[in-house]
Amino acid sequence: MTDRRPPFWQREKYTPYLLLLPAVLTILFVVLLPLIFSLYTSFTGYRLIRPESLWQWVGLRNYERIFGDRDFWVAFGRTVIFLTIALNLEFLLGLGIALLINKITWGQRTLRTIMMFPMMFSPILVGYQFKFVFNDNIGILNNALQALGLSDGAIPWLVDKYLANFAIIFAEVWMSTSVFAILLLAGLFAMPRDPLEAAKVDGCNAWQVFRHITLPFLMPFVFIAMTIRSLDVARAYDIVDVMTGGGPAGRTELLWTLIARVGYDNARMGQANAMAYVSIVLSIAFTYYFFTKLMAARRYMGGAD
Amino acid sequence: MTASHIARLLAATALTGLTAVSALAEEVDYGTFDGYTLRVKLIGGAQYEPLYTRIAEWEEMTGATVDVLSRKNHFELDREIKQDIAAGTLDWCVGSNHTSFAPQYGAIYIDLNGVVGEGTLAAFQARALENATVDGRLVQLPRHSDISNLYYIKSLYEDADNQSRFKEEYGYDLSPPETWDQVKDQAMFFADAPRFYGTQFVGKDEAITGRFYELLVANGGQLFDDDWNPVFNSDAGVEAVNFFRDLYEAEAVPAGALNYLWDDTGLGFASGTVALNLDWAGWASFFNDPENSKVAGDIGLVRAPKGSAGVRTGWSGSHSFSITETCDNTEAAASFVTFLTNHDSQMIEASAGLLPTRSTVWDDAKAQFAEDGNDFLVQVFDTYAQSMAEDAFTPPLITPWIEVSNEIWPRLQAAILGEMTPQEALDEAADAARLVMEDAGYL
Repeated sequence: MTDRRPPFWQREKYTPYLLLLPAVLTILFVVLLPLIFSLYTSFTGYRLIRPESLWQWVGLRNYERIFGDRDFWVAFGRTVIFLTIALNLEFLLGLGIALLINKITWGQRTLRTIMMFPMMFSPILVGYQFKFVFNDNIGILNNALQALGLSDGAIPWLVDKYLANFAIIFAEVWMSTSVFAILLLAGLFAMPRDPLEAAKVDGCNAWQVFRHITLPFLMPFVFIAMTIRSLDVARAYDIVDVMTGGGPAGRTELLWTLIARVGYDNARMGQANAMAYVSIVLSIAFTYYFFTKLMAARRYMGGAD
Repeated sequence: MTASHIARLLAATALTGLTAVSALAEEVDYGTFDGYTLRVKLIGGAQYEPLYTRIAEWEEMTGATVDVLSRKNHFELDREIKQDIAAGTLDWCVGSNHTSFAPQYGAIYIDLNGVVGEGTLAAFQARALENATVDGRLVQLPRHSDISNLYYIKSLYEDADNQSRFKEEYGYDLSPPETWDQVKDQAMFFADAPRFYGTQFVGKDEAITGRFYELLVANGGQLFDDDWNPVFNSDAGVEAVNFFRDLYEAEAVPAGALNYLWDDTGLGFASGTVALNLDWAGWASFFNDPENSKVAGDIGLVRAPKGSAGVRTGWSGSHSFSITETCDNTEAAASFVTFLTNHDSQMIEASAGLLPTRSTVWDDAKAQFAEDGNDFLVQVFDTYAQSMAEDAFTPPLITPWIEVSNEIWPRLQAAILGEMTPQEALDEAADAARLVMEDAGYL
């Protein structure tokens, strides 16, 4: 008689898979299934208010429609520009703040906490706050400018083509710069002191130290921050929705406000999901780009390949 | 003294007489639903909340408990309801609804004919019930109605200097406007941006579509022809767009108006920096309250002016309650919506200036205002009663109304901002609206 082998789920070589199974199943149900479902709906004429339309297969019609839609491409282009400007500004300001806070020896913890305040607000509140600040009639900015004699008219902050985009980027930067600042500050804390001291002994000036030692060391942190931010920047939807709703005349329309209007107000969820998939591709492109940059930066620093 | 005594006496007589009539007609038994929990989704916001204080009374009377699942503004509630339809989670009984939104929801709400007592329905204004009917089904019980008339700052019109300067410039006497052309003249005359504005308008979403729509009708145009072809890119349409555009270009309205919704225009008028304001009656008490408003005691009100076709603007609708098909206790739900729209409930809303949908409440509320010595609200109710009776019209009660509106308003904005000519903007909007109507099976 041979020994009976234990059932396969008790065999040792399967144990890791069994242990991973709950995580895999969770991801499958929480992430993958909804993604597949929304991909499917982007090929249907699915309308929220007509649940039976979920089975109405329309092939590539939704995609054909949005690719031929000028408004969609304008919103797409504006979203890319918005992302580029906002992320870079947040990086530069975050870096500046991190460097300044790193210099402080007294009260640093308090400052770090204060710096994180904007992150604690929900984007909707940030939106309302800046809607009020930039209001042309009763807003504090225009009133301040008029009181100081810098302007004698009502500057249409949320209406003018450039000013409106400036205003929403300003609000987004205000809310999210501290994410960069905190991650970069962590990088500065982790930085070894020896190379800095060696550089000083060798006669490098402050700019040379920053340019050739501090910055390269920080770059992996920068790209980690960029990667994280490019994934969650869509939270800015709430800010834009409250401040301008994508208007006026579509001047601040981003992919997210367009998708929400098509999907919910117009109840065309199929078409909205087609747009959302294009938006996901854009998001993946940004993330992939930052990720390759991260890898390159780490290689440069002699880190992992 | 004598006059007010007589008014009081008249009011008291009217009140008792009318209450007796309505009591006879209705005799509602609100039933007993011990231990039952009624799940509801209601519209929230300052002007809607006072009515909800009555929910506790209904709970006490019937033994049921009310679970308010959400209390949001209508645009957010609309999204939530659409999600519920999609997810099949219509596990609640009563929802707030509105004339403009109701046609979208298809058959999720029941026909209230036969569910709400006949005597009760008979006490409502016929037109309010007509507007609450979609495809022959009474899908909502109207709670209060909505139409706009023109508020103005009285002292500006009484000022002798203004009168002579206006006459000199425009060639006719300065008096509260009778036509929209006069509104434009006077708004430009009074404007002194950024300190003071002639008028203002809501600048986005269905709000500006509605304002355009009513002016289109007042100018003799229409949105669709009899076969549902979009025809608003007509001369009347261009004339309507030009009204907004001219005011905007002349800086007679605030530069940020294109982002304004109802709260912004209401608060703007109350801030005393706007001469003329087309608005609903819900603001009346607020405008005339010195605590909230700088124009309190100095407000005039006239019926909405006429367009070039001699028709008055009168975009109208009602806030309402609906009962879901999936409701597990239709009787309790019907009792609840009947209670929240009964005579006493509507009196609470009317005292804030909201327009009742029951005929008798119009008279009773007015009598109450007269008794309280609130002449302004008496005037408000007189003016709004007339416009509800003679000028009111709804947007087309079709499923894709909001979608058509979403095609129109961004183009209106583009025309107002000068990015397109009014004709280009309306042509483009009409093409887009045609596509929506085709998709929805109307064309």
